[in-house]
Amino acid sequence: MPLINLNGLRFHYQQRGQGEDIVLLHAVTSNMSVWLFTNLIDVLAKEFHVTAYDLRGHGASDAPENGYTSADMAEDLRNIHSALKLGPAILVGHSFGAVVGMHAALLYPDMVRGLILSDPYFPGLAHLEPYLAETETWREVRDALAGAGVDLGERVDFARLFRAVAELTSPQIEHIRKTMGDASLRWFGQMPRLAATTCGRDVFAPAGFTADRICLVRQPVIALYDEHSSFQATRRFLEANLPNVRVEIMPGARHVAPLQNPDTFNQLVQKYSRLLANARPDGKENTWSSPPPHIA
Amino acid sequence: MSSRSQEQILSDLGSMLREFNGKEYSGEMSAKTRLFRDLGMVSIDAVILAETLERFYSHSFAFSQFLSDIGKKGNSDIEVGELASFLHSQMRGAAG
Repeated sequence: MPLINLNGLRFHYQQRGQGEDIVLLHAVTSNMSVWLFTNLIDVLAKEFHVTAYDLRGHGASDAPENGYTSADMAEDLRNIHSALKLGPAILVGHSFGAVVGMHAALLYPDMVRGLILSDPYFPGLAHLEPYLAETETWREVRDALAGAGVDLGERVDFARLFRAVAELTSPQIEHIRKTMGDASLRWFGQMPRLAATTCGRDVFAPAGFTADRICLVRQPVIALYDEHSSFQATRRFLEANLPNVRVEIMPGARHVAPLQNPDTFNQLVQKYSRLLANARPDGKENTWSSPPPHIA
Repeated sequence: MSSRSQEQILSDLGSMLREFNGKEYSGEMSAKTRLFRDLGMVSIDAVILAETLERFYSHSFAFSQFLSDIGKKGNSDIEVGELASFLHSQMRGAAG
């Protein structure tokens, strides 16, 4: 499998197609397979040079004990971008992958042409989303584990979730299979490895990417928020405060649009990638009021 | 390798999947064996399997399309025979 060794860590990656660079950033507890199971990688590869990789601790990349904040992972992205000799890239990120992309756009602006975000929650905007533990996705996980006799507590605690999943017995796994379906076990299957890391804690750390810093991202941003997103306050914040943003609502989706509505997701990412490919890398003089005719 | 029959591909897969990416399987292997439920694969294993098969057959497969089609059919798993059929049709298409 294709691996790149950076500062002692191996990252699993794939590249397809030719053209302007696009980098795909998956969510925490996911991996690059999401871009294959949705076919996004091949849809984009028809007209772009697409790079997908497994974030540290995920998929087939190495899992160091620590270094899982958005700042750490933005640095990984910079190193991968540099080692693979990519040009200014469009970053497509789902959930925490979108946070990593935005943080990279702020810290390393020269490598980011523009961003397409899918339903991110920003640790630096946690004050806008006080009811994280009541989101439907978390409730579903918490209730399924509770049914298997595992208590995840009152608040969202990924570290506790990862440890709990790592310790599940076979009967408990069968209970979860019946409650949440087979696909949930493939998702849970990523978690035991993360239990031995600081990932669960780190991904909720603002890591310097606070509200005022988020507003400094100058590159054009397409924010795809899911129709049933739990992060509407975040969406409104980005819409009001980013200098160069367009928001779209993903119909029928609830935080996992790439899998819940793949056709629409792929169409929008393709459409906006074409638009962003024409944007200036530094974000200056971009305007969404007059997109190129073939996009409008 | 492009002249391999579907039965030969099924046999290749059987050998390959007995021990794959750190997972061993000692049960019965047939066209009906499921990658996730029976072999205990997780999602990233499907990606690594795709990379392994491309190397093994020296052929580029449209795995992304294959995997997304499986999802669109509402299937949550992949049978070994289904994979063999896909590989065979792709290699036959290239040879033809």
